[in-house]
Amino acid sequence: MKWGNDLSTFVEKFRQYLKPGYYDEFDYHWTMTIDLDRCTGCEACVVACQAENNLPIVGEKRYAQNREIKWIRIERYWEGEYPDVKMGFIPMLCQHCDAAPCEIACPVFATYHNQDGLNTQIYNRCIGTRTCAVYCPYEVRYFNWFTYTWDEPLEQQLNPDVTVREKGVMEKCTFCIQRIRLAKDNAKDDDRRRVRDGEVVPACVQSCPTEAMAFGDSNDPEAKVSKMMKNPRGYTVLEELNTTPSIVYLKKAHAES
Amino acid sequence: MFDHGQPSYAEVNKDILSVMLETGPRYWMLLGTTMSVAVIFFFMPWFYQLIVGVGAAGMSRNAYWGTYLSNFIFWIGLSHSGTLLSAILHITNSPWRKSVYRSAEAMTLFSLMTAALFVMVHLGRVWFVHWSFPIPNQMGLWPNFRSPLMFDVMAITTYLTASSIFIYMGSVPDFAAVRDASTGTRRRLYTIFSFGWRGTAREWHTLGWAYTFFAVFVIPLAVSVHSIVSWDFALSIVPGLHHTIFAPYFVCGAIYSGTAGIVTVMYCLRKFLNFERYIGQVHLDNLGKLLLALSLIWSYINMLELFSSWYGGSSFELEALKFKLTGFYAPLYWEMILFCAFVPLLMFFRKFRWSWNKMLLISILINIGMLTERFIIVATSQPRKFLPNAFGFYFPSWIEISITIGSFAIFATMFLIFIKWVPAISIYEVKETLKPLRRDA
Amino acid sequence: MQFIGAGSLGVAGGVLYGESVQKDVELLIPQVVPPEDYSPGVASWYNTVCNQCSAGCGISVRIREGKAKKIEGNPVHPVSQGRLCARGQAGLNVLYNPDRIRSPLQNATSRESGSFTEISWDEALTTIGSRIGRLRIEGNASRVRLLTGSTRGGLDELFAQFMSLLGSDHYQQYDFTDPGALRAANRIAFGMDQLPHYDIKHADYLLSFGADYLATWLSPVHYSLAYGHLRQGRDGQRGRTVQIEPRMSLSGAAADEWIAARPGTEGLLALGLAHELLRAGSYTGSDRDEWASALQPYSPAMVAAETDVSVDTIVRIAREFAESTASLAIAGGATAAGTNAVASVVAVNALNYLAGNLNQPGGIFFNPDPAFSAAAGSRQVGMQGMLDLAEAMEAGDVEVLIVHDSNPVHALPENVRFRQAMENVPLVVALSSFHDETTDMADLILPTNTYLESWGDDVPDPGVGFPVASISQPVVAPLYDTLPVGDIVLALARRIGGELPIRMPWGTMEEFIKARWRDEYDGRTAGLEGQDFDAFWQASLEAGVWGQPGIVAGDPSMPSSAAMIAALANPVSEFAGDESDYPFVLHPYLTATFLDGRGANLPWLQELPDPMTSVVYGSWAELNPATAEDLGIREGDVLEVETPAGSVSVPALIFPALRPGVVAMPIGQGHTAYGRYARNRGANPMDLVSMQIDDRSGDLAWAATRARVRNTGERLQIIKTDGVTRTLGRQILGPKNDHA
Ligand code: SF4
Ligand code: SF4
Ligand code: SF4
Repeated sequence: MKWGNDLSTFVEKFRQYLKPGYYDEFDYHWTMTIDLDRCTGCEACVVACQAENNLPIVGEKRYAQNREIKWIRIERYWEGEYPDVKMGFIPMLCQHCDAAPCEIACPVFATYHNQDGLNTQIYNRCIGTRTCAVYCPYEVRYFNWFTYTWDEPLEQQLNPDVTVREKGVMEKCTFCIQRIRLAKDNAKDDDRRRVRDGEVVPACVQSCPTEAMAFGDSNDPEAKVSKMMKNPRGYTVLEELNTTPSIVYLKKAHAES
Repeated sequence: MFDHGQPSYAEVNKDILSVMLETGPRYWMLLGTTMSVAVIFFFMPWFYQLIVGVGAAGMSRNAYWGTYLSNFIFWIGLSHSGTLLSAILHITNSPWRKSVYRSAEAMTLFSLMTAALFVMVHLGRVWFVHWSFPIPNQMGLWPNFRSPLMFDVMAITTYLTASSIFIYMGSVPDFAAVRDASTGTRRRLYTIFSFGWRGTAREWHTLGWAYTFFAVFVIPLAVSVHSIVSWDFALSIVPGLHHTIFAPYFVCGAIYSGTAGIVTVMYCLRKFLNFERYIGQVHLDNLGKLLLALSLIWSYINMLELFSSWYGGSSFELEALKFKLTGFYAPLYWEMILFCAFVPLLMFFRKFRWSWNKMLLISILINIGMLTERFIIVATSQPRKFLPNAFGFYFPSWIEISITIGSFAIFATMFLIFIKWVPAISIYEVKETLKPLRRDA
Repeated sequence: MQFIGAGSLGVAGGVLYGESVQKDVELLIPQVVPPEDYSPGVASWYNTVCNQCSAGCGISVRIREGKAKKIEGNPVHPVSQGRLCARGQAGLNVLYNPDRIRSPLQNATSRESGSFTEISWDEALTTIGSRIGRLRIEGNASRVRLLTGSTRGGLDELFAQFMSLLGSDHYQQYDFTDPGALRAANRIAFGMDQLPHYDIKHADYLLSFGADYLATWLSPVHYSLAYGHLRQGRDGQRGRTVQIEPRMSLSGAAADEWIAARPGTEGLLALGLAHELLRAGSYTGSDRDEWASALQPYSPAMVAAETDVSVDTIVRIAREFAESTASLAIAGGATAAGTNAVASVVAVNALNYLAGNLNQPGGIFFNPDPAFSAAAGSRQVGMQGMLDLAEAMEAGDVEVLIVHDSNPVHALPENVRFRQAMENVPLVVALSSFHDETTDMADLILPTNTYLESWGDDVPDPGVGFPVASISQPVVAPLYDTLPVGDIVLALARRIGGELPIRMPWGTMEEFIKARWRDEYDGRTAGLEGQDFDAFWQASLEAGVWGQPGIVAGDPSMPSSAAMIAALANPVSEFAGDESDYPFVLHPYLTATFLDGRGANLPWLQELPDPMTSVVYGSWAELNPATAEDLGIREGDVLEVETPAGSVSVPALIFPALRPGVVAMPIGQGHTAYGRYARNRGANPMDLVSMQIDDRSGDLAWAATRARVRNTGERLQIIKTDGVTRTLGRQILGPKNDHA
């Protein structure tokens, strides 16, 4: 019966609606692991991301107003007081949450989940309500408060694979989607169905001098990240919020004394 | 009902229409002032902001929402009561509503429009605002119906439409009265406005029926609008915003500030348009009681909110609570408590309820309190979310402050224009309340 | 024997460096200048050498449409192994810096005015060439002085040839970051000038005396890689690190234990540890008795009293150090910058010696003969040499001063009066890409290509345990009317005439480098069978590096301990300034972002939050929280930091991991020139450093000055990204109760 069909379609649609990004499963599930026992807080990753993703140079004044744009930043936490004082670093970038709070926020779908489990941001579609940034518990979304320019000839460095954003749009870590695209294209050219493990290396992961970060497809049980994720030190930040992040941190180990 | 003796029908017509038909220099001066304030304080800074980017405001990565959004909530709040009150009172057949409701509804309309303006000001790329409407397009791109902002768009447009129709419908007989009282272009214009109203029994019947229908329709709408607006906040998981109590809290707050707004507007109408005969002690007294009741509910919900934050025991919530009560913006918080929870208690005394000046003061204080309430909501929660390392601070820039000031001027401008085009008090309903006709009228 | 670059790169790299090879090797196209027929939209990668510090990391530069887009580590280079630090990646800001000098300039009026007019290359070179030529003919060639930074490899060789053919033996280098004390101490302890290979990677107990090996010491990327491996690279085994320094550096933050010994006594602490190690009987060498008597005075109790480190800690660390299978002690930073710098480093070397860490995995390896037999660092003159130079200049003994890649006006303490001395030099020539403080004092500025536009080669120092040489090649066409430094030298040689053009016949630096590599190729046979030079050259160029991993130092005989023992006596570092007048110890430190200040003109680095404090754009003075509270100082209060040498005003920053009684200041800002991003930003702590020299190295004891601070009452906002730096009990750094 027609009505019944409609109803079941509706129910079906509704079910889909409840899934992250409407997907039953992700083609790839790009995942990053960050080993805090290796990370030294050197910020090589920060510059790597800036170079790869055309992050603007905002200038001293804007920096003072907290308008900087750093898709990956290092957070610092002190523990204890002198002389028993310790410093903990944690690189903070978009967690590509499977249940992303930011995604329900956007009225125009400028941020959505793609079939790879990435939380993507479509600059062209963004109207700048900034709701996503308010909703993101990791505070990794950055807004273009102004149209930033580059002092000539610094603009010659800009990566042609990545859009330069204008004022009024939100931006954040993309897991270097341009590199993922390239790897997929290469795989296709080679008649491979899937990208090999290690073929996609985001800029930050690539640069890290201590090899603290790993990146790959956690749908592939053989991938390096899949193995790293099983590490007993593994945890996700703000687990209690149930955002199911795609970044697994490995807790800093302690010296057994 | 009428403090200065009951007017005749003709007097009603004359009193009310004279406001529209006779325009003195004082009006023009006032209009000129509000318009220039609106331009200088609102539109010029906005224009500047459009050119350089939203960075002109004081928001930063610590607070992506700022005064614009808190003002948006404030104006939406103010818009309540108007239509809502009018509808409720219509259904419950409260006679004292009649002289108040037209301007109350107008207030709804104009504060909604002002609120909508704030959405525009807030947006990073306002030139693409139409993308948030479900406009069919060749890309097959639709808005995100899961987004509370999308709910907002829906709710506010619906509310705006419904309120406009509501106010318009109620004004049709009055437009006819204006038509009859005027000549020339104005007459032709009001002929169109009044839809050829002739005052036949059938017309009155249809109007009464339709009006009641809309009144019933508008009540849940008004409740839903502010609930939905509250979800902008409550659906986020930000500590201090993620409260289920937010919907009733916002609705109650909205009606509260709206009612206070009506008192203010009534005072002005009475004072400047010489409507003393139509807006009397009864209205004031009744509104005062209503305000008092609302303030008690508001205080109760406010306590509940604090209680649930504390009782929940989540460290994030506790931290947010602590900051709200004792942090940098604590003085503002306590100011709000004073103005919205304690000052209104004075209305327990008839002396206050019956004094126009005192009530004006109280109503203004309440709205100042409500304005700060909205500001506190955005300014204390966002800069301190989950990761202490990203904690920061929000303080509005002069542009935001100026635009906030300007928005009141915009509201006033719209109101001033309104009283010249629509009878500020419903002529026919006032007439309904008059004692049976005397021959000489 | 395998050659990097010979044969298939991927395979060679894979064999050598395992996991470090990641890049599509097909993309490595060797080209001098990007070809005209590039395919748009396709990126190519060129390998060259990073020049942002003296570690000599191999880099790969991504080129698209003839423009450099990104710098990454060269995956087949043994130093960087595909990784790169923040400074290295910001090299693109050097290339595309808006403040680059775009054509030869001549000083318009006075030196101080800083206004220049453009002239042609021909004019500039002729002016200089004729002047030097005249001096040469007059036999006054020694009135020509050449000062460079830490120039190595082919360029160094070229400079050296140029100067010696000219007849001047005044070619000297000054680089603030050069580990002079380390070299001097290694010469004493191990009898070698070259820096050894510190095998942090395989160590399981790393004891660092002030060496910020993760950010600024010798070869940060290489050591960071090693650190990662030390921590988590081996199954079931996690190396430990202990850091001894008054102010927590990045390496201190990474360490399991951070010990703030009294400044200037770190060497003493090393001796105390050595004493304890010997007492516990873990050293059994034949010279045990000599050691015992030499170390006799340094009992834990005495050392504990002097260093403010508890006896328990000394005993425990000595035990842990001795018991670890692969322990390693290193020294650098402030430990190697006291008046006792060399003695301190010798003491640390002694620790390594006594724990048997020499030529052991996870210990110290001596490098075999480098590819090109240049003794790296041997031209570093240290502070003494610079004082001599300044004196000579002041005395009018210098007629032509050529400066390249060195900024003494900024890097030397004010009281060297280098700027004033320069006034007495009739012709100052700067070979530079930027208007830094020294360049601005020049009469003629010859704008140089940046390292990304130049040919060159390099032998990394410290090495990696086997012979390695890297090639730099231009990755983009020169942006402006500039020339590579090598080409300028060759052109000058031609103008000067005489023997020079005959003995230096190469037209360009490229030719010179290639000739040099041909010589090297001819001099080596092992492993090069069946490969002609062209193939060898091509392969090396593609890989950006050539090396012979199998070769280790021939017969690494144990150094004799006598020299070490003789050099042990380790007086505590002496501080300029009286303790009662100057209650604080000034602790200047190199920052991970700017190093000694050379990175300050790069916007990416200015905008990079300082790793320990998150401050951007500016400098500051750090105080311990308790000290600050006592003095009533809050963050952002402008302090006047005053030493016997001078005073500067900087905002205060409260830093939890700083020894009370120390005021720490980052080096690197405080430029009065050097482009829009660096100029007039912060203060230069070098202005505060008293002129004290460690005689044994001739180096400046830059961590041996006392200071006092005064709150001026003004305030200056410190721009930083950190909000609250405590977790507030939130489980951000991991779940609490399990110590996995
Ligand atoms: S590059 Fe690696 S070690 Fe450095 S801060 Fe980033 S994650 Fe940590
Ligand atoms: S980390 Fe923030 S921006 Fe990224 S997916 Fe999660 S909620 Fe969205
Ligand atoms: S994955 Fe890419 S975009 Fe994200 S932080 Fe790393 S470099 Fe930046």
